Amino acid sequence: MMNQRKSSPFDSVLIDLHMHSRISDGSDSPEEILARVKEAGIGIFSLTDHDAVEGCRIIRSLLSPSEKDPLFIPGVEFSCKDSEGKYHILGYGYDPESEPINKVVDMGHEYRMNKVRGRLDMLRQEFGFDFPSDEIDELLALPNPGKPHIGNLMVKYGYAESKEQAIREYIDKAHFKGQYVKPEEAIEGILGSGGIPVLAHPFYGSGDQLILGQEMEERLVKLKGYGLRGVEAFYSGFTDKLRNQMIEFADKYDLYITAGSDYHGTNKWIDLGDNGLGEGPKPERMVRFLELMV
Amino acid sequence: MSETNDRVEIKLKGRIDSGNAAAIETEIQQKLSGKENVPVLFDMTDLEYISSAGLRILLRVKKSFPDLTITNASSEVYEILEMTGFTEMMKVEKAYRVMSVEGCEVIGIGANGIVYRVDQDTVVKAYKNADALEDIQHEREVARLALILGIPTAISYDVVRVGDSYGSVFELLNARPFSSILAEHPEKIDWCAKEYVDLLKKIHGTLVPEGKLPDLKDTVIGWAEFMQEYLPKDKGEKLLSMIKAVPHDDHMVHGDYHTKNVMLQGDEVLLIDMDTLAVGHPIFELASVFNSLQGYAELDHSLLKSFQGYDYEIGREFLTKVLSLYLGTTNPKKIQEVEDKARIVGYTRMIRRSIRRKGLETEQGRAEIAFWKERLLKLLDEYDTLLFTPDELVLDAVEENLPLLQEFIEKHLEETNCPAKAKMQIELASEEIFVNIVNYAYAPEKGTATVRVEVSDDPVCVTITFLDRGVPYDPLAKEDPDVTLSAEDREIGGLGIFLTKKTMDDVSYEYKDGQNILTLKKNL
Repeated sequence: MMNQRKSSPFDSVLIDLHMHSRISDGSDSPEEILARVKEAGIGIFSLTDHDAVEGCRIIRSLLSPSEKDPLFIPGVEFSCKDSEGKYHILGYGYDPESEPINKVVDMGHEYRMNKVRGRLDMLRQEFGFDFPSDEIDELLALPNPGKPHIGNLMVKYGYAESKEQAIREYIDKAHFKGQYVKPEEAIEGILGSGGIPVLAHPFYGSGDQLILGQEMEERLVKLKGYGLRGVEAFYSGFTDKLRNQMIEFADKYDLYITAGSDYHGTNKWIDLGDNGLGEGPKPERMVRFLELMV
Repeated sequence: MSETNDRVEIKLKGRIDSGNAAAIETEIQQKLSGKENVPVLFDMTDLEYISSAGLRILLRVKKSFPDLTITNASSEVYEILEMTGFTEMMKVEKAYRVMSVEGCEVIGIGANGIVYRVDQDTVVKAYKNADALEDIQHEREVARLALILGIPTAISYDVVRVGDSYGSVFELLNARPFSSILAEHPEKIDWCAKEYVDLLKKIHGTLVPEGKLPDLKDTVIGWAEFMQEYLPKDKGEKLLSMIKAVPHDDHMVHGDYHTKNVMLQGDEVLLIDMDTLAVGHPIFELASVFNSLQGYAELDHSLLKSFQGYDYEIGREFLTKVLSLYLGTTNPKKIQEVEDKARIVGYTRMIRRSIRRKGLETEQGRAEIAFWKERLLKLLDEYDTLLFTPDELVLDAVEENLPLLQEFIEKHLEETNCPAKAKMQIELASEEIFVNIVNYAYAPEKGTATVRVEVSDDPVCVTITFLDRGVPYDPLAKEDPDVTLSAEDREIGGLGIFLTKKTMDDVSYEYKDGQNILTLKKNL
């Protein structure tokens, strides 16, 4: 297997530190997430909704201090962008009530709302797609509205055959220049609230890019300069080769290692707990991270 | 989608990215629903691009269906799969460029396929069998090995689709096979023979790391075993035991060393058609050399012309020259002996081949088999071993090779009734001369020495010739040391040559064709 490890209290514990609830684009409510985590026998978990910390407050209120409940680490996944590309930055172990992280959440929400409004304007001006005002209000009242929600609306009103077609042929057609949270802003917010910033699915950028070799390394150097502390080396979409490369990077740049599935309920075909880690001894850099968290 | 033998085949088209990945995944899920552990094949012929959203799909399918294969990945898609480690996780086959050989000049026809010239500097070897990829891979690997070991050969740089099968593409700039040189310029026969033998010796002088190539002896044993039921019991057994008695040899043999497989490109002599590359004793190679130049056309001489392009008589002359150069002798008896031993293995191979290909039912098959069998039986009466000692040894002029030289000379002396004293004197003299070459001929560079041993019958006499291409130096021109002086006053060196002159019956030196030639003669 990988590098030699000492035994740790986390050996033989299942871990999944990356999943989404209905607060963002998952299909399960936080309550359902907790139930599924228990069902799957996961011992340590984190809920990482996009640009939202609300779910973590809910999960916390559901947990009893009894020893039967799994260990919970508050999490979040910020969508970030700068002139060099897109990033998803995870934050772990922060205080959900503290100001710095909530400022980033608010900033993200505002930008997102601006984008949704901008997109709706664009669709009306470019293609003449109109929606009833109560539908628009409902859309804007969602915790994290985005392209899929607009797409669904377009299907509902007959402007497109499917959500995918709506996004591909209309929503993404006009280049929409929105405002985005910068990676350094997300990292500062997480650190400022006592959390640990970790780069999500590093090779896949914000989800669907492929960033390899030198480009990947340059990203890590830059983000580490902003205060990044870890990388999600164990990820449901990684091959052994990718995972091993990321572990090498973690060694080279002294970063923690985390493991996440990116579970989205029925919205994506990913099993809870699927991240290539499994039960058994954990890598040293993950053990150090977990010791910090629990 | 098609399903054959429970395998699910899925064609992927266009682009797969975050925009359509979910829809494609749903479609794939539907196709695979209710199936368990069936082999899944993704045909990527029409796939232009795959993003990480697409890679995730492959990964998820792989988790539920471990037997997953990808075919016809374009080079762009293949590169992505390779960089992300997918090629290590599942079987991924690249799409091959399609090449047409229609109207192309045929420059060679081999057992496995046909070689076409596609343009001035490109040839393609089109394989006959549809599942040729493994053969192609094998040939590429052994050719690369040969090249690493110092054998000049053409390495295929691409694999293409040719019709229903595959082809291996080589760069061959105006290369000409030796067969056509011999056919068009028979006057160049001496030059051809020399180059042909130089390359052959280079091959046979190349040590192959253990396990890298098959042992030709195993193959030859197989032929002899096949022959058992077609030969009288005692002859069959003798043949098999003679082959088994040939010692294992870790030096390279080509396995199909005929004049179409040796090419002249510019001023370089190249070896091609490497799929038969093996290790083994040179007698097995000489058997196929004999077959290609004489053996298989012995009954019908026109066969040589149609296969190699030159007359049977040219083949005869070329074979004799080749054996003479290879063995380092002009002694016809010696040449005949080695040719006969090669014929024993050669006939064995051809009779087996004829039985398998034409069978005993056809008239032509029967005639061939009877013809070769009669000759084989006669040879099995005459000979008890397949081993032979060449009269010439080429070796690097380094001190470590002294034992090789001594062993070589000793083998020749064994054939004579050499008295112990003369033997010792010959060995001592040879050592002196060889060490001289080692120390002075090329210093500070390195070079080779050629040693020839000839034993003549009447009177019994051993002649040993040393050749080197170092600085011209006549050791005999030096004055003999004054052995009457005391040890301190004597000049250092020169004593070895003095002793050599004293103990040999004749020592002569000449400088010819850029070579120092020193000849020792000892009457026995």
